[in-house]
Amino acid sequence: MDTFIQLTLNGLTLGSVYALIALGYSLVYGILKLLNFAHGDVFMVGSYVGYGALQALGGSANPKVPLWLLLVLITLAAMVACALLGVAIERFAYRPLRNAPRIAPLISALGVSFFLAYSVQLMFGAQQRDYDAFSLGEGTLFFSGFDIGNVRIPLLRIIIIVSAFVLMVALWLLVTKTRIGKAMRATSYDREAAAMMGINIDRVIVFAFVLGSALAGAAGVMFALRAPTAATIGFIAGLKGFTAAVIGGIGSIPGAMAGGLILGLAEAFTQGYISTRWSDLLVFVLLITFMLFRPQGLFGKPDIKKV
Amino acid sequence: MAALLELKGVSMSFGGLAVIDDLDLHVDEGEIVSVIGPNGAGKTTLFNLVTGVYEPTAGDIVFAGESLKGLPPHKITRKGIARTFQTLRLFLNMSVRENVMAAAYGHTKAGAFRAMLRTPGQRREERGIRELAEKRLAFFGERLMGYRWDQPAYSLSYANRRRLEIARATATNPRLLLLDEPAAGMNPSETHEITQLIGKLRSEGGYTILVIEHDMHVVEGISDRVIALDHGIKIAEGSFAEVATSPRVVEAYLGTKAAVTK
Amino acid sequence: MDDETRARDYEEAVPGAATTGGPAIGKDEWVARSGERRSRRGGILGKLDERLAVVPWWTWLALFAAVVALLPVGFESGYVRRIAFDTLIYVLLALGLNVVVGWGGLLDLGYVAFFGVGAYTYAIVSSDKFDIHLPFVLSLPLAAIVGAVVGLLVGLPSRRLSGDYLAIVTLFFFQIFLTVSNNSDSIGGRDIAGGPNGLINIDPLSIFGHELKTSTDGIFNVAYLYVALVMFLVVYVALRLVDDSRTGRAWRSLREDPLAAEMMGMPVNWLKLLAFSFGAGVAALSGTLATALNGSVFPQTFEFPLLITVYTMVILGGAGSQAGVVIGAVSISVLLEVLREPGDARFLFYVIGLLALVTALKLSVRLAAVLGGTLALGFALHALAGSHDGAWTGGVPNGGGRLAGWVDGWVIIPKALAGWIPPASYIALICVVLGLTLVHGRLRLALLVPTLYLAAFVWENVMLVKPEPTRFVLLGAILVGVMVARPEGLLGEKRVEIV
Repeated sequence: MDTFIQLTLNGLTLGSVYALIALGYSLVYGILKLLNFAHGDVFMVGSYVGYGALQALGGSANPKVPLWLLLVLITLAAMVACALLGVAIERFAYRPLRNAPRIAPLISALGVSFFLAYSVQLMFGAQQRDYDAFSLGEGTLFFSGFDIGNVRIPLLRIIIIVSAFVLMVALWLLVTKTRIGKAMRATSYDREAAAMMGINIDRVIVFAFVLGSALAGAAGVMFALRAPTAATIGFIAGLKGFTAAVIGGIGSIPGAMAGGLILGLAEAFTQGYISTRWSDLLVFVLLITFMLFRPQGLFGKPDIKKV
Repeated sequence: MAALLELKGVSMSFGGLAVIDDLDLHVDEGEIVSVIGPNGAGKTTLFNLVTGVYEPTAGDIVFAGESLKGLPPHKITRKGIARTFQTLRLFLNMSVRENVMAAAYGHTKAGAFRAMLRTPGQRREERGIRELAEKRLAFFGERLMGYRWDQPAYSLSYANRRRLEIARATATNPRLLLLDEPAAGMNPSETHEITQLIGKLRSEGGYTILVIEHDMHVVEGISDRVIALDHGIKIAEGSFAEVATSPRVVEAYLGTKAAVTK
Repeated sequence: MDDETRARDYEEAVPGAATTGGPAIGKDEWVARSGERRSRRGGILGKLDERLAVVPWWTWLALFAAVVALLPVGFESGYVRRIAFDTLIYVLLALGLNVVVGWGGLLDLGYVAFFGVGAYTYAIVSSDKFDIHLPFVLSLPLAAIVGAVVGLLVGLPSRRLSGDYLAIVTLFFFQIFLTVSNNSDSIGGRDIAGGPNGLINIDPLSIFGHELKTSTDGIFNVAYLYVALVMFLVVYVALRLVDDSRTGRAWRSLREDPLAAEMMGMPVNWLKLLAFSFGAGVAALSGTLATALNGSVFPQTFEFPLLITVYTMVILGGAGSQAGVVIGAVSISVLLEVLREPGDARFLFYVIGLLALVTALKLSVRLAAVLGGTLALGFALHALAGSHDGAWTGGVPNGGGRLAGWVDGWVIIPKALAGWIPPASYIALICVVLGLTLVHGRLRLALLVPTLYLAAFVWENVMLVKPEPTRFVLLGAILVGVMVARPEGLLGEKRVEIV
C-alpha cells in the first residue's frame, strides 16, 4: 500500500510536468495544426533560465530573498524568457511557412529543436546543471510536508502538483472566459472564417505560443527542482509531453491535462512494479495503441474529410 | 436498358445533420444526367458518396450490378467511375501529360521492381500509357496539344485546367464520368464549347455521364434527364422542360412567398 | 481566365499575329511561357544555364562517379579515402530519405533506425555472435529486405498515414529501436546484440571467398570506396528508373494532392507505405556497408543528430531532386569534416561570408561600403580594446591556419573570457541576425556592419572553441534557414502550391 501511495505521488508529480508540456503542444496544434517539435527544447531552455535566475539571486545555499519569493521569481523568469523565445520561434521559423506544404514547418521545427539544444550546449557545455534544491531553506522542501500512512509527502511535490494545477486552471479560465480565449477557440475551429470575422489571426497565434511556451518554462523549473537538467533533455521531454497530448486528444486542453496525468502515472507504476529499463518502451506502446484504436485521443473529435 | 449506376435509399449525415436523405437515383448506360439544385443541396456530397470519399450512413450504391459499399475510392475508380472536381484538383507541379499518365495507374500493372529492371513488358506498358495520355489530350483539339504536353499544369489557363481535369478522368478508362460543375468560371464561348464537348464525350468516348451544373444553358443543352435536389431530397426528375417548370424547383431556387415574407 | 477571348480579339484585329514570329502576346502560349521567360537569366550565366539544362542526367552521374573513382589517385592519404567512403554512405542515406520525404512527401523521423536495422542485421549474420558467416552477396540483400519489411511493418499501424501521424509513429519507432538496441544485452535474459557495448569483430566484406581487408598497414583499403561507389551507382540509377515510371508518377501525384490521386485510381496508402519501405531498404543497405568497414556496431551511432544531418542534406540539396540530394549530402559531409579542424573552419567561415556578401550585394558601392566599414570597425575596436587593457586582445586564435595572423589583428580575442561573454555575445548575435531580416534598405546595410563583426567575434571566441556543438548548431540553422528562405533547396524545382 505504501508503495502504491509513493508511486501515485511520483506519477502525479511527473504527470503535472508532462501535462504542462502537453498543453503547449495542444494549444499550438489546435490553432496551427502544427506539431511544434521545438517545444521540448523550449522546456529545456526554461530549466536553464531558472538555473540562471537562481544563481543571480545568490544560489540555493544562501539566496538573497525568502524561499517562497525565490521560487516564484525563478519560475516567472523562466516563463517570461520562454514566452519571448516562443514568440521568436513562431515569428522566424513558422510564420514564413504558414502557406507552405504541411511537411515544411515540421522540418523547420526539427531544425529549431536541434538548434536550441546545441546552442545551449555551445554556451553552457554538455555537463548537467543542478538546482541543488536540497540546500534551499536547509532542506525544507524535502523534509517538511505531511504523511499519508507511512509515506511522507514532501513539500516540493505538493508545490509542484498544486502550482501546475493552478496554472492549468488559469489557462482554462483564460481560454473559456476571455475575449482572446474565444478568439483562440474560433481560430482553432476555422481559421479562415475567424479571420473574416475580424479576428487578428497573427495575434491569436502569437498568443498561443506565448501561453504554451510560458507553461513549458514553468514546467522546466519544476522538473529541474527535482532532477538535474542538461541540454539534451528537451528531446525526450518533448516526446513525453507530446505523447500526453496525443493520449488526451491533441488540440484539447482538458485532454492534455488528463493525458499528462495518465502518462505520468503509467510511467511511475511501470517503473515501480515492472522495470525501469523498459518503462519508456511501455509508454510508447501505450501511445501507439491509442493511435491505433482511438487516434483522436480521449477528448478529441474525429475529423471529417473536406473535399 | 439496365441502370449502370443505381442509388437505393442512400442517406448521409454528418453529426446528425442529414445532407442526403433516402435518395433513390439511377443513371442508365449511355445517358447524360444532370443534377441541379441550390447551394448546399447535397450535389457534391452525392459525388463523394458515389466515389467512396464518404460511406453512406444508410442505403446502397450499385454500379454495373455490383455494390460499391465499403470499397475505398481507388477501387471504385478501377471499377469504372471517374470524376472531376468543382474546385480544380490537378497535380499542379506535374506536366500536362504526366497528369493524364498518372491516372492510368489503376489499369496498368508494372511495379517498381520491373521499372528498375526496365523489362520489355514494362517498357511496352509505359509506351501504352504515353500513347493513351496523348490520345486523351488530343480529344480537346488544339487546346492541350504540342508544346503544352511538357508544361507544368499550373501554367494552364483556367479553362484549360478544366479540360485537363476531364482528360485526366478519362485516362482511368471509366464507364461513368462524374463532372462537377464543368462550366464553372467559364465565359460564354467557353461554356458553349464545353456543352458540345460533353455531347462529344458520349458520342465518341462512349461514356455515361452524370454532371452537376449550375448553368441552365449547359443543362438544357446536354441532358437526357435532369434531377433536382434540395436539402438532400430529390424534388423533381424528368426532362429539362419538366424540371425547370416544376413548382418545387422554382420554390427551391427562389423561395416560397411565405419564406420571402417571413 | 479569359486570355483566350482576348487572344481571339487580338487575332481578329491583327491577322496573322499569332502565326508569325513566336507566340502572340495575350495568347495562352504566351501566358504559359511568361514564367519561363522571367526565370531565365540573362548574360553569360543565362547561356550557361541553357547549355547545362540539356545535358542528360547520366552524364552528370558519370562525371561524379569518375571524380570519386579518381580520388585515391590524387590523394594517397587514407584520411581522404575514408572521408570519401563516409560521404558516399551519407549520399546513400540521403538518396533513401529523398524517396520518403521528397517523393512520398512523408515525414519519417525514424529513418536512422532503419540504417541501424541494416547494420545490426549484417552484424548478426556476419560475426561470431551466433557463428553465422553469410557471404556478402547474401547478407547485403538480406539486410535491405529486412529493412524494407520492418519499414512496412512500422508504417502499417498508422492507418491514417497523414503527415503528423506517420511522423509520430516513426519517431516512436526510433525510440523503441534505441531502447531495444541499448538493452539488447538482456532481452528475456539473453544477450542478443551486446546492448550499449555493441557488437564487435564483424566480418569485412568478402567477394567470392576473397576477403577485403578493411585496411592494410593502417591505411584504408580503397576497395571499400569502390564497393560503395558501385552501390551508389546502382541505387541512384534504380531509383531514377522508378521515378520515371508508373510508381514514380503516382508518388508525385499523391504528394501534389492525395485525395485527387486516390480518386484517379491510385492506392494512396499502399503507395505511401511503398515509398516508406523503399527508403528503409536503402537505409538498411547503407548500414551494412558502414558496418562491414567499421567491423563493429554500437547503438550510439543511431542517435538524433544523425537523423538531423541526413535531413539537412536532403533539404539543402532540394527534396525531390536526386542530383540535388547528392550535392547536399556531399556539401554537408565535407562541411562537417572541415569544421573539425579550427584552422580550416576559420578559412571556410571567412570565404563563405565573403561569397555570401558578394552574392547578396553584387559588386557594388554598397558591397565596398559594408566591407570597408566592417574592416575599419574591427581594427578600430581592436585598437581601442588593446590600448585599454592588453589582456583584452591577448588571446590567440584557436587552431591557427591560413587566416590566423590576420584574424589576430582584427578580431578581439581576450586572453581569458569571462563566463558571461560567450552566452551574451551568442544570444546577441542571434537577436541581431533575426532583427536584420525585419529591417530593410539603408538601416539593414548599416546594421550589417556591426553584425558581421559580432559574428566574427562569436565565431572566433565561442564557436571555434567547441567544434562539436558548433557543427550541430549550424545544421539546425541551415535546416531552418533553407526551409524559410528557399524551400526548394539548391537544385529542387520551385513548386507552385495554390494558384
